[in-house]
Amino acid sequence: MSIRVNPDILPDLVASIEQAQQEAQTATQQMATGRSVNNLSDNPAAAAALVGNDALTSENDQYLTNLTDLQGKFQAADSALNSAVQLMTTAISVGTEGANGTLSSADRQAIAQQVQGLQQQMLALANTSYEGTYIFSGTNVTTQPFAQSSTSSSGVQYNGNDGVTTVQIGEGQSMQTNVGGDQIFTNANGNVFQALNDLANALNSGAGIDAANTEVQQAFSKLTTQRVFYGNALSQVQNSQNYLNQEQVDLSTQQNQLVGANMTQVVANESQAQTAEQAALSATAQILSLPTLLTYIK
Amino acid sequence: MGTLSSALNIAVQAMLANETALDTTSNNIANANTPGYSRQTVNFVEAPPVEYGGQLYGTGVQVSQIVSQRSGVLQLLLNNDTQQQAQYSSYLTTMQQVQTLFNETSGNGLQSSITGFFNSLQQLSEDPSNTTDRQAVLTAAENMAQNFNSISANLTSLQQNADTSVTQSVNQINALTPQIAQLNSQISEAVSTGQNAGSLMDQRDQLINQLSGLIGVSEIDAGNGNVTVTTTAGAPLVVDNKSFQLTTQPDPATGFQHIYSLGNDITSTISGGALGGAIQVRDSTIPSIQSSLDSLASSLENSFNSINQAGFDLNGNPGGNFFVPPPAGGVGAAAEMSVAITDPSQIAASQDGSAGDNSNVNAMLAVQNQAIVNGQTPINAYSSLVFQIGNDVSSTQSEQQGSQASIQQVQNQIGSISGVSINEEAANLIQYQQAYQAAAQAAAVISSLTQTAITMFSSSH
Repeated sequence: MSIRVNPDILPDLVASIEQAQQEAQTATQQMATGRSVNNLSDNPAAAAALVGNDALTSENDQYLTNLTDLQGKFQAADSALNSAVQLMTTAISVGTEGANGTLSSADRQAIAQQVQGLQQQMLALANTSYEGTYIFSGTNVTTQPFAQSSTSSSGVQYNGNDGVTTVQIGEGQSMQTNVGGDQIFTNANGNVFQALNDLANALNSGAGIDAANTEVQQAFSKLTTQRVFYGNALSQVQNSQNYLNQEQVDLSTQQNQLVGANMTQVVANESQAQTAEQAALSATAQILSLPTLLTYIK
Repeated sequence: MGTLSSALNIAVQAMLANETALDTTSNNIANANTPGYSRQTVNFVEAPPVEYGGQLYGTGVQVSQIVSQRSGVLQLLLNNDTQQQAQYSSYLTTMQQVQTLFNETSGNGLQSSITGFFNSLQQLSEDPSNTTDRQAVLTAAENMAQNFNSISANLTSLQQNADTSVTQSVNQINALTPQIAQLNSQISEAVSTGQNAGSLMDQRDQLINQLSGLIGVSEIDAGNGNVTVTTTAGAPLVVDNKSFQLTTQPDPATGFQHIYSLGNDITSTISGGALGGAIQVRDSTIPSIQSSLDSLASSLENSFNSINQAGFDLNGNPGGNFFVPPPAGGVGAAAEMSVAITDPSQIAASQDGSAGDNSNVNAMLAVQNQAIVNGQTPINAYSSLVFQIGNDVSSTQSEQQGSQASIQQVQNQIGSISGVSINEEAANLIQYQQAYQAAAQAAAVISSLTQTAITMFSSSH
């Protein structure tokens, strides 16, 4: 006697239809979302890796925003210092002119007045602010860094501090974003205000003009040196932007590898699942309509 | 020596036996689609022979019994698989909702709000005295806190749903067990009087299988047709003709329903079935996820509080708590997370008191890469949690599919023994019909012979 089989084949047939339908549904969902991972359980490791990937992408976006802001600030500082350098160049040329022994004292005083004007302009540049805060006041950003002072030999007093700030510009990467104003304008090795003040005084009195010119030269070269900081900072910003933009592309590629659906594969899966579903349906219909022995009993 | 009357008797008995067989066949066909029905077969035996004059004479056919074709072993296997499958299903019902709370693939999970908070600090570090940036930090912190609050609240509400289904399952169990006890008593009575209890056993199997969908049970054959049903840990549900109700009582600490049998709290011993799945998700899985969220929330809160206290705010005053300090031990930290700072100037961005110093903001930013949550950075800790939940759901899904396939297989095996085959019944129908017709024909012939004999004797008078 042969082995008896389960006469109720309906559950198996229904199960195969359901299986095909489920596969079609999965493929449809992947087509709709463009993702192969739509629930954590679809691929737990990829879903967890996506958390880190998303966090990095979002951090990088913020770094890029910061870099754009920093770029604005550095450009403002650099352009102020560029003007300051030009002022000093003017001071050097008028100082040289004033050192000419043939000049009358009235001529020298006129030049001295010009130098004092330069100092006033320099003061305004040293007090440059960007988006509401002073650039050259260290971390005392809400205090105007340089003020006129009758007690100071340079005629200008520094009210800022030496504080420097560092800002993160990438994962584990940070940069200094300022130099104290006293380092730039009232440096012990080249004090811009002192030099201009001394030059004006020398021109007025007619004595020590050469020494004052040397002092202006020193202050000029110190100013130029400090300006390099902002030039470098700008190129570092540029480098970091390039690096981060590339990293964003890499992260996006990674993300696609983690959770993106392979569309060719998905489309193939979908059509396969549909074929399977149709086959299951047609088989079920045929099997269920098969005659039984009862059909033949007359 | 055979007689005409005994021959007639044999023929009539054969008709009766085949009638019984036709009746059984008809009943099988009628119940072909009845769930749990086991096909019945008729056992024919030879009637005891009689001896006459040293010769044994056959006395025809008898129906010895009507037998339900069933396998107790397969039924036990089916119940075991059902218990597992139901536990996985009920567990997944809740866990599939839990995993959507952590679905980062849709882009608005907790990760975005934690990273958003750090990004706002990043922005502030570049311009620490900027009030707009400070306000943005507070908004991002509040957003993160609300995200923690809402995920935690959603988890609690899913836990409450599971709790509701615990009560429902217990009610369903309590409705089933008295019916099983009742069937026990009917079956043992039938068995003791030698009746066919097949249909009653089918019903009882069906009920025990339904019970298996609700709770893990053990079945013991207690003899006399009785089945003893207990929970897998041994708490009695049905013994002979008595059923034992489970009761529920809220736990004073959690408010969730605990399950009692004969006055003992058996909640933690229950496994299997919808009840087992609901208890697992309610008492074990969700609390564990909550606790992971709590340590993430409290670690962030504690770190930020101590850093903010070490710095100076925009007005040069020492900083206070950034967040409202989490409860001791961190329990409930995620649910209660809230920002303590009300004014943007109170963010202690500076370490030396000057408005433009960002050292303390940088210290806060560093938290992003510090292993403050059980040896992991905040995002890594969260990512581990996401993996853990996804993996739990995924492996349970596989197990559920496995047990589903196993159920299908066992059901096929049961069907191969107990299922009604229309073709088989039709063949039997023809066979019994022919036998009946033959017996009837034989009776008619014998009857006519008897008539002949009677006529013969009456004509000789």
